[in-house]
Amino acid sequence: MSSFGQTASLPHALGVRSKTGSGAWVTTREAFWIALEALRTHKLRSFLTLLGVVIATATLIVVMSVINGMNLYIADHIANLGANVFIVSKYQWAQGYEAWLKARRRNQPIRVEEFEFLKENLSGYKNIGAAASMWSDDNSTRYQGHVLYNAEISGDTPSMIDIGNQKVESGRYITDSDYQHESMVCFIGHDIVDEFFPSVEPIGKEILVNGLPFRVVGVAEKIGSTFGQSEDNFVQIPLTTYRKYFAPRLSLDVNVQAYDAQQMLALEDEARALLRARRHVPYREADNFGINASQTIMDLWDRLMGSIFALTIGIVAVFMVVGGIVIMNIMLASVTERTHEIGIRKSLGARRRDIMMQFVIESVVMACAGGGIGVLLALIVSEIVDHFWTSTVPLSAVLVGLTLSSAVGLFFGIYPANQAAKLDPIEALHTEN
Amino acid sequence: MSKERDGQTIMETQMASASSGELQAPGDGVVIKAENLWKTYDMGEAIQVHALSGVSFSIDRGEYVAIMGPSGSGKSTLMNLIGCLDTPSRGAYWLNTHLVSELSDDQLAYIRNKEIGFVFQTFNLLSRASALHNVELPLIYSGMPQKDRLEKAADALRKVDLADRMHHKPNELSGGQRQRVAVARALVNNPSIILADEPTGNLDTATGEEIMGLFERLHQAGNTLVLVTHEHDIAAHAHRIIHVRDGRIERDERVD
Ligand SMILES: Nc1ncnc2c1ncn2[C@@H]1O[C@H](COP(=O)(O)OP(=O)(O)OP(=O)(O)O)[C@@H](O)[C@H]1O
Ligand SMILES: [Mg+2]
Repeated sequence: MSSFGQTASLPHALGVRSKTGSGAWVTTREAFWIALEALRTHKLRSFLTLLGVVIATATLIVVMSVINGMNLYIADHIANLGANVFIVSKYQWAQGYEAWLKARRRNQPIRVEEFEFLKENLSGYKNIGAAASMWSDDNSTRYQGHVLYNAEISGDTPSMIDIGNQKVESGRYITDSDYQHESMVCFIGHDIVDEFFPSVEPIGKEILVNGLPFRVVGVAEKIGSTFGQSEDNFVQIPLTTYRKYFAPRLSLDVNVQAYDAQQMLALEDEARALLRARRHVPYREADNFGINASQTIMDLWDRLMGSIFALTIGIVAVFMVVGGIVIMNIMLASVTERTHEIGIRKSLGARRRDIMMQFVIESVVMACAGGGIGVLLALIVSEIVDHFWTSTVPLSAVLVGLTLSSAVGLFFGIYPANQAAKLDPIEALHTEN
Repeated sequence: MSKERDGQTIMETQMASASSGELQAPGDGVVIKAENLWKTYDMGEAIQVHALSGVSFSIDRGEYVAIMGPSGSGKSTLMNLIGCLDTPSRGAYWLNTHLVSELSDDQLAYIRNKEIGFVFQTFNLLSRASALHNVELPLIYSGMPQKDRLEKAADALRKVDLADRMHHKPNELSGGQRQRVAVARALVNNPSIILADEPTGNLDTATGEEIMGLFERLHQAGNTLVLVTHEHDIAAHAHRIIHVRDGRIERDERVD
């Protein structure tokens, strides 16, 4: 067919241009130039346009940063609750409110006899220990004129030093002898040292714990703080002493350390069976105590993070869509405003895809600028949050934020760009702006 | 001015096979052929404006043609059709043996970019861009790297005597200077067909003659020129004058 032959004889535009050099790159650069020019000339309008994308990106990054910060904390502290340690206590930690209400009525405190029983009967554990502590505003620690009200006061067995994440910096931990003799000695955290003994050797000094005198025998290595909560603000005394003077009926936390994760599961089962038997819990009834491992907290954490994340995605999606629609609107206005310009460009040889590219790039650059502002905003917010809580901006969050906002710009830029690309050259030229 | 007509040679390769229905495709050497072109604007309520009513003519390669006629006679409309910017309501139009109505969007863009240099009656410069950038535009759309582009654009501006106004925006230029930017832009991509709608309308006699000298050289180099003018002095440069009135060709005369 002859007409086919004719059209085919005209150089195919794409082929010719790629032969003359980096044609696509040249027109893309022109598009970038135009986009930046447009942003520069309409600073305020662009900023208002971008508000949705800015908020969406900032929200996304801040939440990702906080979750990341908390993850780091969890990994650092809770997951390392002690390797392969599980805790037998009055309640199961991570459970729903309903379950907790039920447990509150049924569960029995863990008694010293039960700790002794487990210690005797559990097979092949690496370590076992018990601790009791009560958070109370009535707790007071004094040294000379200084008072501390918020220190955690706990009673511990000597073995607890091998189970938890504390280490002795100077002096010693609670000994078997302290335990047996209900000695008035204490092992203190670094905050207590900073508060009471900034320039004095604390070992051998006597401090008042809830009004009773205790001799400092050891100081723990500094742990640090997370969630704004210091991990070094504690006073530990022998469990026997604690029970004798402070809280004789307080439920214990029995810490059992296994040699490996595999053995830990077996030990958990064994501990559960032993305790149920001792307490005569009927076959079909639930435990009236809790067995907790770091896994329990991790599960709770995962669930919590899942819902936070779902909520965030919802919020971000709404803002992104709103932001995208606003961008689309502005781009449509921009196309109308620049109809004459499009006519000129087409009359000089711009192809559909060149015009398309021009407006899509403008839209993407605009959205990306919004994403950039969002990133800056997020960095500032995250810095502030980190001050009193925890937040670490991961690079991935920044990349996700920028990619997402660019994608929004791309998606919502396509329709206006297509409107521009399909304009008739002469009609566009005859449009006055 | 040096010539490199990469597009044209490819276009010439398939000259023979040009026929579409009963319409007679132009033979070799014919650059522009119009067959019974109509351009009708519907103004609503059954009112029609015929900007062109049945125009037929053909222009050979290397011809220098002037189109004259009173205001509103359809000269710009005709030029837009020749320049592949507009489409006729009726009739057929061939450019280099190609039936334009059968060309794809990209091929039309290619023709506008490489084959045709168009000087608009109203200049149509980008108001936010400098003279230099305006002249660069056709080169951008032909994909020329920036360095060559700037050189070529600056060269074209020098030829129209605007070396010292390259970085001025159109609103910082006089009417005549704008017209010269438009001329430089039309010539920068070395098109083989130059279409100019009143290219000297805003120029004084001396500058006008300079532009006409430029056109004369392009003609001598073998390019095809079509220009619209009101002035007989300008038309006298051409070798053929087509007189248009009320959308029809009134007279088609050769001058020597
Ligand atoms: N878009 C349009 N809609 C309606 N009528 C139009 C349109 N464009 C042109 N016309 C009409 O077509 C006729 C020819 O217009 P054209 O611009 O071709 O004239 P011209 O010969 O170039 O005049 P001038 O010498 O003043 O530039 C005029 O009567 C004009 O009113
Ligand atoms: Mg006109």
